[in-house]
Amino acid sequence: MTAELPGERSPVTSGSELAGLLAKVARGDEAAFAGVYDRFGTLVYGLVRRVVRDPAQSEEVTQEVLLEVWRTASRFDPGEGSARSWLMTLAHRRAVDRVRSAQASVQREARAAVAETDYDVVAEEVETRLDAQRVRRCLETLTELQRESVTLAYYGGYTYREVAALLGVAVGTVKTRMRDGLIRLRDCLGTES
Amino acid sequence: MRLRRTDPHTLAGAYAVDALNAADRESFERHLVSCEACRAEAASLRDAAGRLAEATAAVPPARLRGLVLAEAARTRQQPPPVRVAERVRRSWHGVGWPAAPRMAVAIAGVGILVALALGTLLINDQHRLRVAEVQRAQIAAVLNAPDADIMTVPAQTRGSATVVMSHADHALVLTTARLPVLPPTECYQVWLMGTHRIRSAGRLPAPKQGMTAPMIVAGVVAGDRMGVTIEPAAGSPRPSSRPVLMLSLPSD
Repeated sequence: MTAELPGERSPVTSGSELAGLLAKVARGDEAAFAGVYDRFGTLVYGLVRRVVRDPAQSEEVTQEVLLEVWRTASRFDPGEGSARSWLMTLAHRRAVDRVRSAQASVQREARAAVAETDYDVVAEEVETRLDAQRVRRCLETLTELQRESVTLAYYGGYTYREVAALLGVAVGTVKTRMRDGLIRLRDCLGTES
Repeated sequence: MRLRRTDPHTLAGAYAVDALNAADRESFERHLVSCEACRAEAASLRDAAGRLAEATAAVPPARLRGLVLAEAARTRQQPPPVRVAERVRRSWHGVGWPAAPRMAVAIAGVGILVALALGTLLINDQHRLRVAEVQRAQIAAVLNAPDADIMTVPAQTRGSATVVMSHADHALVLTTARLPVLPPTECYQVWLMGTHRIRSAGRLPAPKQGMTAPMIVAGVVAGDRMGVTIEPAAGSPRPSSRPVLMLSLPSD
């Protein structure tokens, strides 16, 4: 346990930069919006791709997410959390909504194997290797059950009940492991960055 | 099910990674309304969860950039929450919930509302006049209270609500404008959400030219939030959908 208070946030790379860009986007600044795309497009697309898997659908969802950023930038409230968190929440919710719609999940399973291959190729091109390493290192500090609960939900888009079924453990156990795992992750990332 | 008895606090992690189904999420968000510490924890866990995306960054296909920028260029942006006031309060916690602005009453604004209230009530049918008179007196009392606050908050969907609140009277007057029209099987229902319970404040009247007549809501307690949900036409004993509109009522 660290002394970090619940309300405190670890410094996040480019977080305040994004808040500045969003303020301009809210005023219709298309160059600032292009800046959001250029700086954060890889994060959004990578996450969506990881959850949705299917490349064509991932592109659609990425497009939806970024357009939502454009449309609703004026609704971003720094008092409610970091800009980065706001953006990633938009992206994750959209991706999860997509995979939970019944039709999409059928397609996802059918195409998962195909998508896996070229995903790794794409990931190789990414420059944010240090960030990625830090996250992976912090994930290693979680217990196996915590890590699996968190990653199946976040990267897999599964509900906690589905995660419980996948792991063969009680629903209540999964809920507490998700929370404990995220607390540990938060504390690790907070002290490392 | 046993699940129902579990402490809602334990859902904070699942909530942060979007692992709740719609019903669970709704009940957890209702819990968040009354739990400041839970909101702070949920925000910090969501922040941590969001950083998991750093491990999956991937360069999108080059053509996507042009598509996204072109689409944005022809897409109308949402306006910011209307700032009636300088002083901004936080409302319902969660992504996309607009902040609820507030200010000390501008006399002119209240004058317009009074005129609107009286005008609307006076054109009511004769047999409703007694009720109307009582309501009119209550509404006038709130609108003219020395401590009245006026707030405007945008709805999640479209339109907005304007509230004039008097702490001394423990009452508020609510009008709405341009909310999406509902089918006859549904209504907008108003709720007061306190620390311990949620109570119905009744259904919004049918709109005329997009606006609803002023509605008096009594029994407001310090720290209450006001929410509006879409319910079956007869109303519901408890909210059955996510609020289309939420407002933190000033507590001082």
